[in-house]
Amino acid sequence: MRSPFAYAPRPGPLQAASPGAAVAYLGAFVAVAFLYSSPLVLAAAGAGAALAGRCAGASTAVRAALRMGLTLALLIVAVNALVVDRGETVLLRLGHLPLLGQVDVTAEALAAGATIGLRAAVAMVAFAVYSACVDPDRVLRALRPVARRSALTASLISRLVPVAAADAARLRDAARLRGPAAAPVGRAALARRLLTGSLDRAVDTAATLELRGYSLTSPDAARGGVLGRSDRVTHETARSPRRPPCVLAPLGLALVRRRSASRFDRRFYLAGMLALATATVGKLAGADGFHAYPTIELDPTPATLAVSALVVLVGLAPWRLPLGGRDA
Amino acid sequence: MPELATPPRAAPALAIEHLSYAYPGTSAPLTTDTGGNGALVLRDVSLTLAPGEFALLAGRSASGKTTLLRAACGLAPHFHGGEIAGRVEVAGVDAIAAGPGELAAVAGYVAQDPETQVVSTTVGAEIALPLEMRGDPPAARARAVEEVALALAIPHLLGRTVDTLSGGELQRVALAAALVTRPELVLLDEPTSQLDPVAGDELIWLLRRLNEEWGVTVLLAEHRLERCLAAADRVIAMSSGSVSFDGLPSDFLAWARTSDAALETPAARLFSLSGLEPLPTGVRHARRILSSTNPQLGRVAEGRRGLPRSGVDFSPADHPRTAAPSPGEKSSEQEAPPPLRQDPPAATVSSLWVELGEAQTRRDVLRGIDLTIARGERVALMGRNGAGKSTLLRTLAGLLDPVRGRAEAPAGIALLTQSPGDYLVRERVADELPGDAGRAALRAVGLEHVLEADPRDLSGGERQRLALAIALAGRTDGAELPGLVALDEPTRGMDRARKRELEELIEGLARRGAGVVVATHDVEFAAAFAGRVALLGDGEVIADGAAEEVLSGGWYFATEVARILDLPGVITPERGAAALSEGRG
Repeated sequence: MRSPFAYAPRPGPLQAASPGAAVAYLGAFVAVAFLYSSPLVLAAAGAGAALAGRCAGASTAVRAALRMGLTLALLIVAVNALVVDRGETVLLRLGHLPLLGQVDVTAEALAAGATIGLRAAVAMVAFAVYSACVDPDRVLRALRPVARRSALTASLISRLVPVAAADAARLRDAARLRGPAAAPVGRAALARRLLTGSLDRAVDTAATLELRGYSLTSPDAARGGVLGRSDRVTHETARSPRRPPCVLAPLGLALVRRRSASRFDRRFYLAGMLALATATVGKLAGADGFHAYPTIELDPTPATLAVSALVVLVGLAPWRLPLGGRDA
Repeated sequence: MPELATPPRAAPALAIEHLSYAYPGTSAPLTTDTGGNGALVLRDVSLTLAPGEFALLAGRSASGKTTLLRAACGLAPHFHGGEIAGRVEVAGVDAIAAGPGELAAVAGYVAQDPETQVVSTTVGAEIALPLEMRGDPPAARARAVEEVALALAIPHLLGRTVDTLSGGELQRVALAAALVTRPELVLLDEPTSQLDPVAGDELIWLLRRLNEEWGVTVLLAEHRLERCLAAADRVIAMSSGSVSFDGLPSDFLAWARTSDAALETPAARLFSLSGLEPLPTGVRHARRILSSTNPQLGRVAEGRRGLPRSGVDFSPADHPRTAAPSPGEKSSEQEAPPPLRQDPPAATVSSLWVELGEAQTRRDVLRGIDLTIARGERVALMGRNGAGKSTLLRTLAGLLDPVRGRAEAPAGIALLTQSPGDYLVRERVADELPGDAGRAALRAVGLEHVLEADPRDLSGGERQRLALAIALAGRTDGAELPGLVALDEPTRGMDRARKRELEELIEGLARRGAGVVVATHDVEFAAAFAGRVALLGDGEVIADGAAEEVLSGGWYFATEVARILDLPGVITPERGAAALSEGRG
């Protein structure tokens, strides 16, 4: 069964945008959530991320992230209420509990927990949209020239997670099909078998990457003449049109003119920057009118309302406003 | 007079000289005499493939075929380690000095399991990956991907994610990724083992077309030789890590007849039994020989082409099912256990509907199936990839719930799924099957001698039998034996000798009263073991009858002998030889 967060290719601006643009846009919501404590702004950031997901056709991922995020938020609220003894409005005296000592549940601790939980939920929704809409292959390829080993590890993980899930399902089925006199298979044995199987899978996948030429020096370096023990491979690479020489060539470096992946990049970068700028200006103007301790202070100033509304609007802008440019 | 320049002679697509290889941990001293060293997987192998050749690599399991392919693409020793001696050159590139990444420009490799051969999320990205790795510009990448996708008839898959593809589709994608760099040599390790007969035949002829039109040199390792012998220019047979035969396909058949009968094709066996020469490399060749050697024999095969069944000139008395078996033939009527048709049946399936998939993509995989299997019956369940064979077996075993109808195995079921390795979770056979009941299960499959072995050290066939013993454990004696034993694709990667062992095991189970149902793509194996064949198509039973009837009445789901002779009921070489002898008389 496919994960709701799994990338699914579908037409759309966010899917067509480069990974950098998508990160800038969706990361802005997370940044806003971590800049602010006001529940209003946090809710606006969450709404912006959720609407972005909906516009991008990732409603399933958004719903799943909301379920998980709100569950996590509730857990954080409960834990925060039990372990934090700050706040003046005591709602419940639980007395002396083992390990925790004297526990008084305060409204302030609940509110502070809700803020942290909401922040986590916003991050989860934004990540879910990213995961469902951004092609991991493009991310890994963008990373490869910068950090080849990390990209290799990420490649293996991104490929092996669904394979391991399928393996686990098959192993569970096989465990159910064992005869009554066969040694029973507990969770530990199953997990051990899954781990060894995953290692074998990883070896096979790594072999495939080798065969696809992953171990070759990165193409950019190859153009600088770094590649190769084999003349043939150098010859094959040399068939590609060379880029014009640059001032860094004597240092063995090539000026890389990155292909803009999509005409939508500009609007996503712009939307992300606008959201961040709005949040920063709002923060400096005192729009974050919320304090949990010692007593809850929620002061929704016009600035708070404006920041909240702008964050949602900016979130919708890439789909609503003609901000895009031409294809590069 | 100006001298004509001599065109440079192309380097061989593959040149191997005195290659010996041992995997790590086997401590095989390659510098000393290699004769008789059991650790060596390849021993003093020498061969050369000219550009544009289509060579078939034959041999039993563990004969060194896969290792030879790995050495040719650089995985051995670069990836697998171990010791290597000798020389391997691919299109002039030293494969031992260069790594697999550098060889990727000149050699493409497609392994047996397609699932571990894809590393990207989408098909388009997967195929483009090798080009991206070598730095081709986007326009060149796009064109190469488009062209290879068109050549392999998969342009409709380019936008799909790889986890939504079937095994056959994945295999084509892996082949496309291997071909996209336009390599001079493509190496394939049993690429059809997971494909149905239709997809398997398509793949072989696709390779032939690429070989002829693109000039790609092909080295193809296969067990089902009858499927690809006709497409090959040359056969290289391996035995215990050495080349035991290297020559033309027709010469290979003559060699196999005397040296290793497990490598004989059904058509060659048919001709051998009938005393006909030369041995045919394929169906068309066989028909031509039959027509030219003896017009009377030719009429048996050729005269029936295109004629409706009612128009044939064979009287009911000539129907091979009633013909006497030839001397030495293992007649199914004589030796096979008769179905025990008493109640309760081994399995009853009635109006069964099963849906699979997620909410948006949910589809009916089984659509109103009705099927009854008697105790002692041996049934082959056949059909294209995705026809619903595995789903039916899994529903019978209670792993899937029907949306309508029922599937029951009243006296219990032992199901061996497609991956026997999934049953093996411990590091000692005795730990998998403890106690007397465990020993009894091992005895039932002939494995009582491997108690202390690590399951991973067993051969493929032994691992499969061990998995079956685990599924049967505690139910191997008399009345405890499950009413139904179900095997899902058990012959993947098996050579003919191992298939024969499996046939005997199935016969033994049926004789003891279990109904045995085997989901398989292997038509020749089905003809050898099954008394009955149920053919599934798009979730429905489209044919159900005696194996002789079902496997002789079509083109794809028919044995090689049936396709040569096209006689109702004639599916094995023995029956074919008997029919030909009657035709002569």
